[in-house]
Amino acid sequence: MYKLRPILKPYYDNLEKGKILGMKCADCGDVVWPPLPTCQKCGSTNLDWIDLGTEAVIDEIRFEDSSVAGDYTFRKADEFFVSKEPYCICIGHFPKGTRQFHAALYGVTEANKDQLISQLPITADAEFIQLDGGFKSVGFRVRA
Amino acid sequence: MLKQKFARPVSVIGTSSLPQRTFDDPEYKDLSVYELWAAACNQAMQDAGVKPKDIDKVVYSQMANFVTCGNVMAPVGSLEEWAGLAGKPITHIEQACAGGYLAFNEAVNSVASGKYDIVMCAGIESPKHFNARNQPAYMLQPIQKYDGWWSPGRALFDTAYSRFDGVSDNLLTEEQGKYYIKHYGIDEKTLDDTYNAMAINLRYNASHNPRALARTPYSEIAKKAGYDDVMAYMRSKNNPKITQYIRKSGSVLHNVEAGAIIVCSSDIAKKYQDHPITVIDHAEVSNTQRFPFCFHQMNVDVRDALYGGQDNFNPDDLDLMITTVMTSGEQLDSAEVFGYLPEGEGYKYELDGRTRFDADKPINPHGGDLSFGHGFGCAGINMLSEAIFQMRGTAGTDQVPKPVNDVLVRGMGGGHTTVGILLENQD
Repeated sequence: MYKLRPILKPYYDNLEKGKILGMKCADCGDVVWPPLPTCQKCGSTNLDWIDLGTEAVIDEIRFEDSSVAGDYTFRKADEFFVSKEPYCICIGHFPKGTRQFHAALYGVTEANKDQLISQLPITADAEFIQLDGGFKSVGFRVRA
Repeated sequence: MLKQKFARPVSVIGTSSLPQRTFDDPEYKDLSVYELWAAACNQAMQDAGVKPKDIDKVVYSQMANFVTCGNVMAPVGSLEEWAGLAGKPITHIEQACAGGYLAFNEAVNSVASGKYDIVMCAGIESPKHFNARNQPAYMLQPIQKYDGWWSPGRALFDTAYSRFDGVSDNLLTEEQGKYYIKHYGIDEKTLDDTYNAMAINLRYNASHNPRALARTPYSEIAKKAGYDDVMAYMRSKNNPKITQYIRKSGSVLHNVEAGAIIVCSSDIAKKYQDHPITVIDHAEVSNTQRFPFCFHQMNVDVRDALYGGQDNFNPDDLDLMITTVMTSGEQLDSAEVFGYLPEGEGYKYELDGRTRFDADKPINPHGGDLSFGHGFGCAGINMLSEAIFQMRGTAGTDQVPKPVNDVLVRGMGGGHTTVGILLENQD
C-alpha cells in the first residue's frame, strides 16, 4: 500500500543547500522535476530522490520583458520575487532528466536574445530565486 | 434485492480513507494536502487493482482550495500529476460539505452515461491550516491567521438579501431540536440527554476506529474529570451548551481529510475487485431557509426521490445508516425521516445505546462528524468509504458485527444541499 512521505519539504530544504532534487522511477527510469510521488510515464509509485545537479540545457527561449504587465487583474508571477531583475521564460531539461520544464531565465535582453536563440540549445546555471515568503525557487541564468 | 436505477449499472471497486488528523499531529508532520491527495488516489487505485492509465476521468471535491491552498484557483492540473493522472478529464465540485457526495454521484453518472468506464472521485480539505500565497503548500499556518476565514454565520449568510441562511447563526443546530420537541412531545431535558447519549455512542464507535480524530471515550474523559456517571459529566459545565440545545460534544470536529473512490461499469467490476459494491441510486435536493424546518424538509424530499423508485423496499431492512451529523439533531432527524429508526422513537435508541456499531441499529460506526471528524468537501468521500469498508467486512475494529449488505449514506452540506445514496452487495 502506498505510504505517505514528505515531498515538498525535503525538496525546498535541499534548495536552501543549493541542491535541486527530482525523482526517478525505479520501474521505468523516468525522471521528473519538480519531484512527484507518482511516475508520469508508467504510474508507478516506486520513485526515489535524484540529485539533478545545477546545470540545465535550455532548449527554447520565450523572450518577453517580465517588468511589463497587463491590467492589474493580470499580474505576473514575480510579484513575490525579492529581486525585480527582469527574466524571461525558457523551456529546458536537466542532463539527467527525461522531461522538459518551464522556468525563469535570467540574463536575456533585447540586445542578446537573437544571438542566444541562434545558439540553442545552450547550457545555463541554476539561479536560486529568493521569494519573500522565506524560501527559494529554481530559475536559470545564461552564461555570460 | 434493490433495483439499481441507472441505464448502465455502476459498481464501486476501490476506495481509500486517510486517518482523520490535523497538520498539528506528528503523523502529518512536514506534509501538505498534495502528499495526502497523492496517497489517497494511489491507495484507492491499488485497492481497485488499477493503474493511473486505467482511470478515464477524475471528479475532485474541495471546498476551500482558494483560501487554504495559497489562493490557488482550480489546482486540477497539479493534483492530477501528483497522482499520475495528467491529461485526464477532471471536474472540480465545490458545493460546501455536500461536495464529496456530489463528486461520487458525478462519477457514477459519468459511468452510467456510457461515456467513461472507470472514474475516480477524490477529495482533499484542510479546514484548520492554510499556506499563504507567497509560500509553498507545506509551509502551513493556523487558519485563525487567515484574514476573513469562514465561519458558518458569515460564509453561509445569503448576501443577496442579507438574511440568515444555510447553517448561519445555528439555524441548523436549533431547528431540528425544535421540530422534534414540537412534533413528538419530548421535553427539553430528554432531548438534552438524547444528544448527550448520541455523542457518547459516536465516541464509543470512534474509540474502536484508529482512523478517527477523537478516540477517547467520554466515560474515560468523565472519570478523569471526577465523574463516575458519564451523563452527569455530559450535563455539566465541562460540556457547555453552545446553543439552546446543542452542547460542545454535539458539534462537528474539523480536520484535514483525504480520500478517494473508484467506480466502474458493473460488467467489468469483477475483473478488478472480488467484492464490488452496486450503486443502487442517488438523490439530492437543495433548498434555503425561506421556510422553517428546511433541513427536515430536505431529508423528506431526498427520501421520497430515493425510495420512490423501489418496489417493496422497507428501510427497516437497511443494515447500516451513515449520515452527516454536523450537530446532534441532524442524526436523529435523518435517521427517522429515512425510516431507519421509527418516527418519534429514535431518541430512545440513542438513550439505550442501540445506535452503536455493535448494537442492533448502527449509525455512523466510524464515529460520525462529532468524533470521526469532518473535512468539508472531502467529508462525503470518507463517509462513503466507511460504507464500502463496512460492506466488504474490512472496516477493522469498528466493523458492524453482522452482514452489511444494504446501506444508506445520507449527507448534507452548507445547509443548502442534502444527498442520499443507496448501496447494496449484489454479488
